[in-house]
Amino acid sequence: MARASKEEKKTTIMLEALKLFSKEGFYSTTIPDIARSLGMSVGNLYNYFKSKDILAKEIIKYISAYLGNELRKINDRDISAKEKIHNIVTIYFQTAQEQPEMIEYFLRIYLANREVFKDGCEGMICVSDFVTEIMIFFEEGVRKGELRDQDFFSAFGLFMGYLGGMVFLFGEKVLPEELDNYVDDISLNIYKALKSDEN
Amino acid sequence: MKTKLLWIQGLSCNGNVHSFFNYPALEQFLEDFSFIHHPLIDSEFSLEEIVSSYHACDILLIEGAIADDFMRGGKRIIDTILLYAPYVKKIVTVGTCATFGGIFKESPYQNSSGFLYHEEKKSERFAHFQDKVVSISGCPVHPDILVNTLYMLKENMALHLDSFYRPKEFFAYTVHNGCTRNEYFEYKVDNHNFGEKEGCMFYDHGCQAPFTHGSCNKILWNEVNSKTRAGEPCHGCTEPHFPRPDLYVTKKNMGIPQYLPLDVPKRAYLTLSGVTKAFKISRLEKKLIDE
Amino acid sequence: MNKKIKVEKLIEKVEGEATLGFHFEKEKISFVDIVFASSRGIETILKGRAAEDALVINPRVCGICGHAHLIATVKALEDCYPKIEISQKAQIIRELTLNFELIQNHFKWFYLTLLPLLGLKQKVSLASEISRIMAKAIACLAGQYPHNAYAIVGGVVSDPTAVEIVQVKNLIKEAIAFFERYMVQADTSFLLQCEKVEDLLAHQGDVPSLLHEVMRREWHHLGKSFDRFIVFGQNSYFQRGKSLKTRVQPHISERFIEVSSNTNSLAKNVTYKHKYYETGPLSRAMLLKIPLIKDAHRRYGDSLFSRILARSCESISLLQHSLGLLEQIDLKEPSYIEPFISIKTLTAEGIGAVEAARGSLVHKVVLEEGSIVSYEIITPTQWNLSQGTKEMPGIAQQAMIGLQDTDLAEFVFKTFDVCSVCTTH
Repeated sequence: MARASKEEKKTTIMLEALKLFSKEGFYSTTIPDIARSLGMSVGNLYNYFKSKDILAKEIIKYISAYLGNELRKINDRDISAKEKIHNIVTIYFQTAQEQPEMIEYFLRIYLANREVFKDGCEGMICVSDFVTEIMIFFEEGVRKGELRDQDFFSAFGLFMGYLGGMVFLFGEKVLPEELDNYVDDISLNIYKALKSDEN
Repeated sequence: MKTKLLWIQGLSCNGNVHSFFNYPALEQFLEDFSFIHHPLIDSEFSLEEIVSSYHACDILLIEGAIADDFMRGGKRIIDTILLYAPYVKKIVTVGTCATFGGIFKESPYQNSSGFLYHEEKKSERFAHFQDKVVSISGCPVHPDILVNTLYMLKENMALHLDSFYRPKEFFAYTVHNGCTRNEYFEYKVDNHNFGEKEGCMFYDHGCQAPFTHGSCNKILWNEVNSKTRAGEPCHGCTEPHFPRPDLYVTKKNMGIPQYLPLDVPKRAYLTLSGVTKAFKISRLEKKLIDE
Repeated sequence: MNKKIKVEKLIEKVEGEATLGFHFEKEKISFVDIVFASSRGIETILKGRAAEDALVINPRVCGICGHAHLIATVKALEDCYPKIEISQKAQIIRELTLNFELIQNHFKWFYLTLLPLLGLKQKVSLASEISRIMAKAIACLAGQYPHNAYAIVGGVVSDPTAVEIVQVKNLIKEAIAFFERYMVQADTSFLLQCEKVEDLLAHQGDVPSLLHEVMRREWHHLGKSFDRFIVFGQNSYFQRGKSLKTRVQPHISERFIEVSSNTNSLAKNVTYKHKYYETGPLSRAMLLKIPLIKDAHRRYGDSLFSRILARSCESISLLQHSLGLLEQIDLKEPSYIEPFISIKTLTAEGIGAVEAARGSLVHKVVLEEGSIVSYEIITPTQWNLSQGTKEMPGIAQQAMIGLQDTDLAEFVFKTFDVCSVCTTH
């Protein structure tokens, strides 16, 4: 079907762009570079993404949807908040290892170049799939009495800042061991920080 | 021919009586309906006569919570209900106490509850009368809703009843429909302060309108206003769990409201919130009427 | 032979029921048991709840005077603060909506309760009309009536504009016109300056007609009690204090209110320094020394005549006073001033007293970290209908003692405007 094919094509373009941004840098990589790498004409690429800025925003939404989808699977599982934290850390680190350009893009390009994203990606709207799942995780955890009730951003900052920081260090090749080896300790640290006093 | 009504009370504050009494066309109503007994309006029979033997009646109106050991006119209210319920065409529970137990389900009487329900649970006591029941919840009832329902019953019009026997013609709406503060809700402007026309009370101040069935902002109260328009949060008085604890506070879990708008999935609500929160709409940040 | 008989009479349509047990000796009523058989336990329901939940729950003590309970509640909660600021605007608005409730009460009592006791038919349309007007006036400022909780700790939730002021003014004027058309056919200015009962009785209207009928039956000297009056709810109109006959003593304290249980009734008795006091429009008029009521009192003491006159005429005074209050509202003031600390953290006690339709209403609350530990409600009907002993009867008991007829006794009883639901909250 033509529609599915268009979406698939867009995904292919985005994944290729991610690889190039990771290897060559965001500003150095141009639309013609991406087109050439895919064996497409520039004009054809522009049919799918009207500008590099639009491509940049679509990529972040794609990453958010991808991670959001993984988190949703975890949220839907009938397991404790503690186990969910472990699952979330696992999937985040797994993605960082198997598809490093995705997390890299989020940390080094999205967060670091706000001027690219300020129109059309105001606030957190382009990462809403991901953020919504984190909100659902927190809300349920508090409602069930497993997590401590607190300001959302305090908890969010702790969780995501921690994970992002670890992936950043991993990217800088500072960590002596594989990311996998840190999952248990990090999950426990996050759980202990966020859990309710009764647990 | 006037339709005959009997208005009896269990544990009640009389709020429904006085709310009904404010019906604008009461005179017309009393041309079409007559009360064989009413707590305020004089009638042919006295309370003692009504409770001691059956008097012909078309519709039984019950106000107030019902308890095993509660008496009216020297008889147990349950016995009076059983005296009439088998013979009337319809039984209308008037108000939240009679429908769900309301405030007085917590009174020290035994088994104090609504006619059919204790909160959402259906009790055995009068379940065999359920096919005759129409529930008009509300604390108090809105006079228009009660009166118009009675007219619809009189005319034998088919009512669409929800799972609690409330007419959907009135209770399919939420109290949120028609509130003048809707824009603040739509665009997630959560800077409400009491004493101001601006702002939505759902985020912080306990407003239950988005998940409360009712027509308060459609029909308005006393022909002019409503709680939420005036600036008081809706306390969910038509619903089984009224009164919930902490009525002026929105229960939140990590900043997310525990009770969301009716039937809106959590993900939909959070995604929408995320989007609207990203934008500041200056008109909605300012006073409505500025100097 | 001294035949002692006891006759029981179920009194209905007093916002619920009451049972009067008449003791007869030598064909006269020697004593009356006043029995209320049910109680809903609101004081128990409030225990453990957040302080502000009381604002929503307490109006449901009563469907006809619930607004007085709201204002008493908010005052009791605010009394828990060492210091709290309520804007003048919020105070005026609260007083206005409470006035409107008092007024519709008095009209309903007159047209629905009183008339049938004299063999006349209720005037349901009139009662409904005026009730609707006053309810609408309340709703303009408070959202809805009955049952709102628009007064909160720190002020009121509403933010009226000039539109609401104009609407409320017109509704007050409509109510005044109603009074002038039906109750006493005279100008408001005459009514407010009238100092002689005979001048009032010379006019047409439902009030003079009723009073004439009372006099025709020679009931105007009946229903006297102890000539002891008390008023707790101070505001811009009502004066606080007690009065023994016409001797006013302005200094009273809620500390000296005593509440005790009855063995035969679920209503509790109330005394002030161990004495029974009358509360209500007659008491308020005696404290204010309203000339017309003083004249009635001079002639007929604290009889049912004075009681009826005071209650019937209080409406017009309140309506006129409300017009004045409305003018004083400065819309630029805030409706609500956030208290410097949240009530959710407070451990304190507070008392709130207001004048409800039937008399003084006192609420006492004890909070612990923002939760209600205990709540006590003392209603006007509890004052008036306290049960004493043969040696020292209560107010209404005394008013009925000596009468020969239970129907007449019921009439006397109802001139106190009894509210069963309030009494047995």
